[in-house]
Amino acid sequence: MEKMSRVTTALGGSVLTGRTMHCHLDAPANAISVCRDAAQVVVAGRSIFKIYAIEEEQFVEKLNLRVGRKPSLNLSCADVVWHQMDENLLATAATNGVVVTWNLGRPSRNKQDQLFTEHKRTVNKVCFHPTEAHVLLSGSQDGFMKCFDLRRKDSVSTFSGQSESVRDVQFSIRDYFTFASTFENGNVQLWDIRRPDRCERMFTAHNGPVFCCDWHPEDRGWLATGGRDKMVKVWDMTTHRAKEMHCVQTIASVARVKWRPECRHHLATCSMMVDHNIYVWDVRRPFVPAAMFEEHRDVTTGIAWRHPHDPSFLLSGSKDSSLCQHLFRDASQPVERANPEGLCYGLFGDLAFAAKESLVAAESGRKPYAGDRRHPIFFKRKLDPAEPFAGLASSALSVFEMEPGGGSMGWFVDTAERYALAGRPLAELCDHNAKVARELGRNQVAQTWTMLRIIYCSPGLVPSANLNHSMGKGSACGLPLMNSFNLKDMTPGLGSETRLDRSKGDTRSDTVLLDSSATLVTNEDNEETEGSDVPADYLLGDVEGEEDELYLLDPDHTHPEEPECVLPQEAFPLRHEIVDTPPGPEHLQDKADSPHVSGSEADTISLAPMDSSFSLLSVSHALYDSRLPPDFFSVLVRDMLHFYAEQGDVQMAVSVLIVLGDRVRKDIDEQTQEHWYTSYIDLLQRFRLWNVSNEVVKLSTSRAVSCLNQASTTLHVNCSHCKRPMSSRGWVCDRCHRCASMCAVCHHVVKGLFVWCQGCSHGGHLQHIMKWLEGSSHCPAGCGHLCEYS
Amino acid sequence: MGNMVSVINTVDTSHEDMIHDAQMDYYGTRLATCSSDRSVKIFDVRNGGQILIADLRGHEGPVWQVAWAHPMYGNILASCSYDRKVIIWKEENGTWEKTHEHSGHDSSVNSVCWAPHDYGLILACGSSDGAISLLTYTGEGQWEVKKINNAHAIGCNAVSWAPAVVPGSLIDQPSGQKPSYIKKFASGGCDNLIRLWKEEEDGQWKEEQKLEAHSDWVRDVAWAPSIGLPTSTIASCSQDGRVFIWTCDDASGNTWSPKLLHKFSDVVWHVSWSITANILAVSGGDNKVTLWKESVDGQWVCISDVNKGQGSVSASVAEGQQNEQ
Repeated sequence: MEKMSRVTTALGGSVLTGRTMHCHLDAPANAISVCRDAAQVVVAGRSIFKIYAIEEEQFVEKLNLRVGRKPSLNLSCADVVWHQMDENLLATAATNGVVVTWNLGRPSRNKQDQLFTEHKRTVNKVCFHPTEAHVLLSGSQDGFMKCFDLRRKDSVSTFSGQSESVRDVQFSIRDYFTFASTFENGNVQLWDIRRPDRCERMFTAHNGPVFCCDWHPEDRGWLATGGRDKMVKVWDMTTHRAKEMHCVQTIASVARVKWRPECRHHLATCSMMVDHNIYVWDVRRPFVPAAMFEEHRDVTTGIAWRHPHDPSFLLSGSKDSSLCQHLFRDASQPVERANPEGLCYGLFGDLAFAAKESLVAAESGRKPYAGDRRHPIFFKRKLDPAEPFAGLASSALSVFEMEPGGGSMGWFVDTAERYALAGRPLAELCDHNAKVARELGRNQVAQTWTMLRIIYCSPGLVPSANLNHSMGKGSACGLPLMNSFNLKDMTPGLGSETRLDRSKGDTRSDTVLLDSSATLVTNEDNEETEGSDVPADYLLGDVEGEEDELYLLDPDHTHPEEPECVLPQEAFPLRHEIVDTPPGPEHLQDKADSPHVSGSEADTISLAPMDSSFSLLSVSHALYDSRLPPDFFSVLVRDMLHFYAEQGDVQMAVSVLIVLGDRVRKDIDEQTQEHWYTSYIDLLQRFRLWNVSNEVVKLSTSRAVSCLNQASTTLHVNCSHCKRPMSSRGWVCDRCHRCASMCAVCHHVVKGLFVWCQGCSHGGHLQHIMKWLEGSSHCPAGCGHLCEYS
Repeated sequence: MGNMVSVINTVDTSHEDMIHDAQMDYYGTRLATCSSDRSVKIFDVRNGGQILIADLRGHEGPVWQVAWAHPMYGNILASCSYDRKVIIWKEENGTWEKTHEHSGHDSSVNSVCWAPHDYGLILACGSSDGAISLLTYTGEGQWEVKKINNAHAIGCNAVSWAPAVVPGSLIDQPSGQKPSYIKKFASGGCDNLIRLWKEEEDGQWKEEQKLEAHSDWVRDVAWAPSIGLPTSTIASCSQDGRVFIWTCDDASGNTWSPKLLHKFSDVVWHVSWSITANILAVSGGDNKVTLWKESVDGQWVCISDVNKGQGSVSASVAEGQQNEQ
């Protein structure tokens, strides 16, 4: 004993050093145990029994305890334990039922000391008494536990667990006389070493075998148990009945459990199958391991903390024939890797967001598991209110909406339901849709509809008030800008359209014309940047983009070499224009002179003077009627549709496409149209707007889209004779071997359109039946039924 | 002009640990959540309600992500977990049950995503073992598994499918024949890369592109829904605090250019597109959600941020929100 205390003293001042490392063993390990000096580790297995020195950089083999020529079964170890008070004393549990003690102080090569051959089957576990040098406990597959005094030749006492097999035994660290044992049947027993007749206490801890247990090094009453049910449970043994304090759910059966030194709530586990990793859990956070060691390639069989007061060094042995030292700081931490937030954009523009609650908030404001009382929460455990939730995380889940009221996609639903897409004259459709858009506060869209109507409908049909309104708006927005371009920026020598044979005096009409197109663009701009400064610059950019059209309109600058100049800048890149073109001073001036209004304002009030819009009206009248085909605008309209689609408003793109039909369809490539259609239909279906979706499919001009309505309709046909379902595709019924669907008039098989009376189910070729019914209202089959066809 | 972003519903999930994902279904009426506590829960959130419909138990570890399948296949939810499993749940006669369990990964499965419905029922799963597996429903309860090994070194954190777009016009297709889609998806991983995968004609998956810009683990990728847009857009976020928007304009789909949306001070965990793909929601380590929109000059602007306080929400001004409508 003197010697030992000296070692302790020497150790007291030393600091453990080392790194994460491993060494290869000759054979798979079954168990490991650390010497009390924390400098040596013993590895035991079926065919290995060695002591390694743990050096700073590596493991160094110090002693091979398997000596002798023929391997004895006594050396096939299931467990090994190094005495925590005597560094020369070890005990092993052999698979043949023998308990062996080893004295490293023996001078001979063979260190074997004593042999106890009392158990009948494999000894699963051996355990020294924490303070008593001579007391050894064993637990065996035969269901018995034995206590040995190493000064005697045989056991002092035998404890019968009244059960098949003992998986683990462990002396309590604090209670001198107490030990715990765990059993294959799920029970845990508590024994007083002085009373072998019966256990002090027994309870069922797990569903299935309890493979391991470990007393908490500090808390006298805490016992951790691990079982095949993949759970680790922490029991408070101080109370009259063992009370479950914590339950950790791992992903595989728990083979070993070891409390982490100096960390009250941490314990390490490893599994005996499937999972090769070692986990360190905070028992208060039972679902996510605090740390994970992934070094082993096969099942980990033994784990041991290197020093009873050091939380950072963990040693492990594995079936992969390796011995490892793990450093806690090198462990991977699944908690850190775990995503603490969930985010989802909902259909209606609402946002579901789950985030970790701050721990402070969790502690003060937490009502544990209140809430949904409609549904009981199973698996729910009462948490100890005295225990702070330091390691426990929780999340709050909120659903946000973008705007009070209907949600930000509400407009989509309303618009879809209320738009008129067909069945009325174009002008009416446009007006209706403009009205719908306006009522929903979508001014830009409303204005677009109005402009479309002006472009494509003869103004003579337009109620003047309405037109005034829209034209007024248009002029208010676009006129000044256009003027500035018209007068200053025209470059001679560019192409024009020869068929526009107009005089110079028509400049005014140019203005009107461009005015309307510019308004389209203006609106679009506004949609993006309403209320900001951007539209001013942006407008200029856009108008610049339309320069080509300005040139086209100019009859005076016909270029002889390019009589049919096509627009050189199709689908002009709007955005670059913005950057490249600084607003000219004249332009700004013009703007200042005229009321520049953003789209939404313009929509509510017509700011233009009455007389000006009147004059515009009359000019445009003449213009449309006589010269300018709506085709002229198709490029603009096309760009407008593309713009809306790009803004995510595919609804507008498709609606305009349907309403305008052939007027615009040829200008947009088939594929894009299809894509818009399918996108829109998909959206409509998500919002469960089946009717609208159907209508859109029906009205679509794209063949691929319109065939959507013909898909997934199944027609079930029964034989007209035996009334059984027709299974084959032919004309003959499988069962009665007669031809089904015979024409009642000509008695031939109908191989096309078959019409039949729903009353008597006789029928035939459409034409034959029609002809028959002209002469008689009775069934042609002669069944006497007065047939009715609708 | 400012709009309030307001909380309409604070769902009491009764999850016993952290929630890792929340997903709304196709119709926006149900919310699925998953948590470290190993459970998946489904709530009916219609009209601001929160009725627990199902509490799905079956995973043996934290559940990282859930994904709703298109309703044309029934009510189907996939979940993936730390326990290395992917479970597909199905509602049948009002009760939710496990219909399939996929345990083909050697490590935590971090992400699941259903392919566009046009392809059938196909689920992509990204795992910490570096592989991505693709489960295809072949009928009668059978799932066919294809696996892309070593998709991302150290692990795959996110998968996101490209919207179904048909190459070339449908008109050219012989009638009655199914259009031949090119299936593509994006994945993000611990190799700091976003990789784009494409199904070859022989049914094998091949890496098509490697998008490189992040300097740390890629946490999430989100392929924008294609609503009327000819371009492909992907949003990605990373441990390095940066969010990139990747766009590809050319038809071949080979030239992707990144644009930095913002550099946050903390990890960015999620990116999520609005249904019309014009707003991007971003959530970062500071417990905040920000909404971003591309301005006229191609810059991404924050239009709103949502702070998550203790249950209540301090909303902030959202500029130009109304124009959304």
